[in-house]
Amino acid sequence: MANNINTVETEVKYTAKDFSSGIDVKWCPGCGDYSILAQVQRSSPDFGAKKEDIVWVSGIGCSSRFPYYMNTYGFHGIHGRAAAIATGVKLANPKLQVWVATGDGDMLSIGGNHFIHACRKNIDLKIVMFNNRIYGLTKGQYSPTSEKGKVTKSSPYGTVDWPFNAIKLATGSGATFVARSMDRDPKHLQEILSRAAKHKGVTFIEVLQNCPIFNDGAFFNLTEKETRADNVVYLEHAKPLVFGEKQNKGIKLDGLNPIIIDLEDGKHSVNDCLVHDETDDNPTRIFLMARFTDIPGYPTPVGVFRNYSKQTYDGDYVQQIEGLKQKMGVGTYDALMFSENTWEVK
Amino acid sequence: MKKELRLMKGNEALAEAAILYGCDAYFGYPITPQSEILEYLSNEAAKRTGMVILQAESEIASINMVYGAAGTGKRVMTSSSSPGMSLMQEGISYIACGEIPCVLVNVQRGGPGLGTIQPGQADYFQSVKGGGHGDYKLVTYAPSTVQEMVDFVFDGFDLAFKYRTPVMILTDGALGQMMEKVLLPEQRPRKTEYEPWGSTGKTPDRERNIIYTLSLQPDVMEKWNERLQKKYRSIEANEIRFEAIDCEDADYVLVAYGLVARICQKAAHIARDHGIKVGVFRPITLYPFPYEQLNKVADNVKAFMTVEMNAGQMLEDVKLAVNGKKSVEFYGRMGGMIPSPEDIFAKLEEKLNHPVSKLVGELA
Ligand code: SF4
Repeated sequence: MANNINTVETEVKYTAKDFSSGIDVKWCPGCGDYSILAQVQRSSPDFGAKKEDIVWVSGIGCSSRFPYYMNTYGFHGIHGRAAAIATGVKLANPKLQVWVATGDGDMLSIGGNHFIHACRKNIDLKIVMFNNRIYGLTKGQYSPTSEKGKVTKSSPYGTVDWPFNAIKLATGSGATFVARSMDRDPKHLQEILSRAAKHKGVTFIEVLQNCPIFNDGAFFNLTEKETRADNVVYLEHAKPLVFGEKQNKGIKLDGLNPIIIDLEDGKHSVNDCLVHDETDDNPTRIFLMARFTDIPGYPTPVGVFRNYSKQTYDGDYVQQIEGLKQKMGVGTYDALMFSENTWEVK
Repeated sequence: MKKELRLMKGNEALAEAAILYGCDAYFGYPITPQSEILEYLSNEAAKRTGMVILQAESEIASINMVYGAAGTGKRVMTSSSSPGMSLMQEGISYIACGEIPCVLVNVQRGGPGLGTIQPGQADYFQSVKGGGHGDYKLVTYAPSTVQEMVDFVFDGFDLAFKYRTPVMILTDGALGQMMEKVLLPEQRPRKTEYEPWGSTGKTPDRERNIIYTLSLQPDVMEKWNERLQKKYRSIEANEIRFEAIDCEDADYVLVAYGLVARICQKAAHIARDHGIKVGVFRPITLYPFPYEQLNKVADNVKAFMTVEMNAGQMLEDVKLAVNGKKSVEFYGRMGGMIPSPEDIFAKLEEKLNHPVSKLVGELA
């Protein structure tokens, strides 16, 4: 198929450098966004599309500066509207591989509506949401993922808001590829990005990202060596949920309740653990795992929660048009002009 | 609490004024260059007067929260900057139609689009000519000092409740960030009385009230419009404010609002040092615009020059006011650029020496 974006019709082998625009990057020193950019550039050669067939669309926020730095087509859009703009791009030119760079404020606060509808449609967009749990660009107000009680410039006595759980939201809205990764786990992030590139339908990746200026260390217990093993459970398809320094803890299901078990207590073994099935079209287990971050003491799942296939909006839409063309023939100007409801002006 | 003299940033002074007026609620969303309003109120308001401060999920949410809260008859405010104000236009149209008093603040930045975070005045049309749909008017105050950022919150709420109409304070990023001395008024109590038009629940002595803005019968909707228009005529008759500085003996008059009016005063001084008699006419209310007042000034001067931080928006109202009596020149900067007094004087001299239009012939 001539337009198949998964076939790079060129002999050129890209490297990360080919995807760097060379423009001065304007994030604060030490910002987690640098790592995300680097991992995207490193994995872009595996995205299965020519540079000129890739578009990065963003909204407004620190993360949304992303398109300037990618040597692809880009769109620095409107606050909260990246998903809608990207929908327009994809439908106008379905052969493009359309990525969205956004943040927790941009996508979940002002952009929440467009986000859930993009997920519902299962349109072939790859949404990468940098979650730093703060508004960085406007200098440090709480965001819809800030934890309850968070003290910020606009919540000096602590927030009374409950945060969004982005994985639950994406899953509940119908996204067909849902994953979480971290700015400080470059290999993992590259792998997730490459997998997302190959998925058809809405891809949602939440990247936990450190904002050293306004919310430093928000995810250090997950990203730092000393604490990571006890606080992160890596999700792998068809593998049991096991974590801990010595892989000595597991998660088992008791009915619909997840329970942490000690694999060395002589009573439990790895066979008791919940086995992850990312292709499950029933989202119940995905929700159970997504909820770990809402339960104190539970490890944060990182990896692909969900990866299943269902018809995409853009695919169905193009097919519908092709079907109509076959049934009714390709329309002509004259046929349209002299169809029903025409009259003569005398 | 007594009146107090303090050195304050424009945005903070405006937020402080809301607390001192006894404002009941503020809904907002962070956007540069006005996030200090939300932050200042978050710090100060709740603990001092119990005022409600809520960071909404977007400006669309903010303006609708204003619609709801103000619809109960409370004193409610929101603020934003240009792109955020664009998002509020739908709500403003409904609020104006529903005749709900409230105070809105636009700390303008340069546009269009995401534009810049530097100051601008390009939302004049949006504010004064109706940024939302339908025939409504938005009373618009244009402060030119930090003191006026305070005063117009008070005047704005008074006027909003007097006419049951939304009021806009149209300022800019420079005034918002600028520090000046301000005399703060005394603290006023929060509001306790109910408004008969508010949707606050039905008590035995009170009919239920529904706020709405719809009528499918055109004759009813026309009556409704007529009522609004009558109100606007009354505002135009009674609420116009302006300042004419050194206009009596002036040969040329600079017309400007907000921060630019202050810069124009400096330019006028420079001009007078050069022996050119220049005055400044500053509309304080942009709607209602001082058409007649400016028209009178036209009798005694040779020409006008409008100066704005935009491509020429108030210019159209100045021309309507002058009504062809004298020529009206224009000097504007865009994209966040602020004209300097020297720039303005140079532009004025240039126009004096090289009149562009026929009418400007009078200049020579
Ligand atoms: S404010 Fe925070 S998120 Fe934004 S660039 Fe700086 S460090 Fe990064």
